[in-house]
Amino acid sequence: MKRSLVLFFGLILLLGFSPAVHAADPIEIALLYPLTGPLADPGSRAKAACDVAAEIINGSYDLPGIPFAKTQGIPNKGGAKIVLKYYDTQGSPEVGKAETERLLQEGKAKLIIGAYQSSVTKPSSFVAERQKFPYLCAESSSAALTERGLKYFFRVAPTDYHDTVMFFQFLDDMKKEGKKVSKIAMVYEKTEFGFHANEEVKKAVAKSNGAYQIVADIPYEFKATDVNAEVLKVKAAQPDVVLHATQFSEMMLFAKAYESLGVKVPANLSFCGGYQNPVFAKELGKTVENYMGSCTFAEDFIAKKAQLKVLNDMFKAKVKSNLDGVAMEALTAVFVAADAFNRAKDLSPDAVRDALATTELQIATLPGKGVKFDESGQNIWIDSTMSQVVGGDYKVVWPAEWATAKTVWPMKP
Amino acid sequence: MDTTIFLQLIVSGLLIGFVFSLIAVGLTLIWGVMDILNFAHGDFLMLAMFSSFLMFANLGLDPLLSLPIVVALLFMVGLLTFRWVIRPVLGYPGLIALLATFGLSIFIRNLVLFFVGPNYRVINQSILAGKNFSILGLHFSLSQTMSAIGCVLITSAVYLLIARTKFGRSLRATSLDKDTALLMGINTNRVFALTFGLGAACVGFAGGMLSNFYPIFPEVGLNFAIMSFVIVALGGFGNISGAFLAGIFVGLVENVGGFLIGPEFKYTLVFVLYLIVISIRPKGLFGW
Repeated sequence: MKRSLVLFFGLILLLGFSPAVHAADPIEIALLYPLTGPLADPGSRAKAACDVAAEIINGSYDLPGIPFAKTQGIPNKGGAKIVLKYYDTQGSPEVGKAETERLLQEGKAKLIIGAYQSSVTKPSSFVAERQKFPYLCAESSSAALTERGLKYFFRVAPTDYHDTVMFFQFLDDMKKEGKKVSKIAMVYEKTEFGFHANEEVKKAVAKSNGAYQIVADIPYEFKATDVNAEVLKVKAAQPDVVLHATQFSEMMLFAKAYESLGVKVPANLSFCGGYQNPVFAKELGKTVENYMGSCTFAEDFIAKKAQLKVLNDMFKAKVKSNLDGVAMEALTAVFVAADAFNRAKDLSPDAVRDALATTELQIATLPGKGVKFDESGQNIWIDSTMSQVVGGDYKVVWPAEWATAKTVWPMKP
Repeated sequence: MDTTIFLQLIVSGLLIGFVFSLIAVGLTLIWGVMDILNFAHGDFLMLAMFSSFLMFANLGLDPLLSLPIVVALLFMVGLLTFRWVIRPVLGYPGLIALLATFGLSIFIRNLVLFFVGPNYRVINQSILAGKNFSILGLHFSLSQTMSAIGCVLITSAVYLLIARTKFGRSLRATSLDKDTALLMGINTNRVFALTFGLGAACVGFAGGMLSNFYPIFPEVGLNFAIMSFVIVALGGFGNISGAFLAGIFVGLVENVGGFLIGPEFKYTLVFVLYLIVISIRPKGLFGW
């Protein structure tokens, strides 16, 4: 009896300390997203995309061009699984900041991903920076976020600066094709996102040596109930192109107001935001036909990179609609986190931060080579493309290497 | 400024103002009779919009055809709110009822978020959707025009109901002095319940019509609720014609003022005017 007991406990001890049998502790990532409030829709889409990424990293999939798909878990960390824990910012900078403080106090997460809105990312990343904790921003576009000299802040998405550069290169091309493009109306929400998009456009116009002029500068209240006054301002200015930095709810109001008030502008271009939500193109039909905007994912990309279909199908099973640029950026961020964990010498905040800083992740989820951060923490391997709504679908129309359709200019009435 | 644009601003202000008016009428009715500010009013609007959408998506019912059902549904929501949330706290300090409706607002919003999800919904294939017309160079959206006409008709009907009918007299009596009304044989609890139902039905009509041209999502009511609180205070708490006129006033200030001074200031303008009015006339423009 005594011998059996000794053998039994010996076996338990052996199993307990054997590295082959002892499962690696899961690695927790804290995700800050607006899961309730006016931006619960894009927040939930980002959540679904992150869940897809975690499923792929933790499972085994045959997806060429997608790192960590074949292996299970994080290879260099004993196959540790990724665990995602979500914190609801409610779309509010104050709540986002408080949730960041809470998750840091909990002390379980090894990295923060968030927070969709630039206005929430800004204060929450300051909290993380103060505590020297790595913060990976997936999709916030305000260029100012990576101009603050933070050491623990990194961003996957292109910024309003990149989108603005792309817009003006596109407009230059349109000019070369003989289109009349000089008068620009800028319509933007009064948020971090809108203000910085507007600043970038103003800088680009100033650099154009008179080739472009801003004929209407129209900021408006986020969560507006009615945008007729704004649209009539656009009408009075008679621009050649209107640029929008607008979330979904207002973007829909604008589109309907342009239509009902008979405002015809040759081109309507959007920074990331409401335009990218697939509901916009699918449900608004002819109202938004030929609207254009920056995009880091369109269904067209699937034709160029077949593995994206699997990701899109997995995402679609969760939210019943296709991936969009914002969701794809969130998905990519989880892979960037996995790569950093894999290369980090340990999982301390400084080690993870250092690993992020030396990221060179080739991944086929976004246009461009993948993810590599410059000294400011901005991804310099990402490209943005221009899509246009054609028959209820987003078609990539620019640049030529990604284009699957020809630009319709002016928009069809 | 171009005359056409100025007239278009007036038209746009009136069209949205009429919708604001009806939403505010529902709110002011409840306040006038019961001295309760219903914080869940915006969520009732959202429930109406979602009801309209769900009947459209699942039964193929056009929002115009499902409107009577939506109004009846919201009337029931109002009755049940009174029965389960308001009646138990009647007789206690007013703050309790106010907090109860605040809690109800959060509950409704999160319930919808849980069951229906946060996604934006759009009804873009209804009888009214996407149809526009022009008169003398002025552009009109059919859905907004019909909504405005409907809201004017319903507001007038509510006004007549209160001014000309026996129920209206009992409602006014209860509003003036609940205890005396009770002594006169008026079933005040019934009046309260019907008032809550009627207030919710008003916002139900507005929500049903808004669903034709407005995105539908769990937070949509908040945007309108804040505006309707301002309208009710501007028009005078409990004053139906006051809420109607204040709604139009706010619609016009938003549009004309927003255009002239800058769209970024249009809500600032509304709130500045509100502050000026309540500092001069604390009971609102038409309050007594």
